[in-house]
Amino acid sequence: MNQLKPPEHGYQSRIRTHVIRLFRWNGAWAAATALMAFGPKFLWNKALVFTLLAVGLDVAVGVGMILANKDYLAELDELQRKVQLNSTGITLGVAVVAGVPFSMMAAYHVIPFHADVAYLLILMSLTFAVSNLYGTRRYR
Amino acid sequence: MKNRLKVLRAERDWTQAQLAEALDVSRQTVNAIETGKFDPSLPLAFRAARLFGLPIEEIFHDPALEHDGSSLATKTKKDTYV
Repeated sequence: MNQLKPPEHGYQSRIRTHVIRLFRWNGAWAAATALMAFGPKFLWNKALVFTLLAVGLDVAVGVGMILANKDYLAELDELQRKVQLNSTGITLGVAVVAGVPFSMMAAYHVIPFHADVAYLLILMSLTFAVSNLYGTRRYR
Repeated sequence: MKNRLKVLRAERDWTQAQLAEALDVSRQTVNAIETGKFDPSLPLAFRAARLFGLPIEEIFHDPALEHDGSSLATKTKKDTYV
């Protein structure tokens, strides 16, 4: 048997490091967003300075999360990157195709509630999760 | 594109995971290439060729060229000189 010597910092180990990093940034961003959303009402009685600081913190952590995601994508191999690209493309398409009519329906009172951006975020998250799962299973 | 990756790997008694680490890709990618679901990029194909110590064309083949029984070189020559 011709034994292969495993590399010291192999693909799996590098990806694991990036996933953990991405997970931490996502958690930090969710916490910063929660602080920005609920802080003014429950923590600092709508004081403008603290609200602006919370917004700044949320944006800064958001930038960190984007960079962590960019680094993660750069580290992926070509097939994994293709799966991610397909999922991102589908998600973006669904967001535009569903988002515009949804917003129009709210504007013309076809639907009885406000077209909150949260609905779009939920739709995008679900679309990305499903298309990513499909892509991963397709090449398994 | 067809390939002999699975055969070459089996000859050396390597697992998909071992080959994946050696090629610096995921095991899923090695499996997708072996089953013909995914065609590797040229740099990855060259990495595989280097790893197995074989010319790239001995690992990856174009099935279209195998069907009509002619090589790409012959075809190009014909197209150019006739």
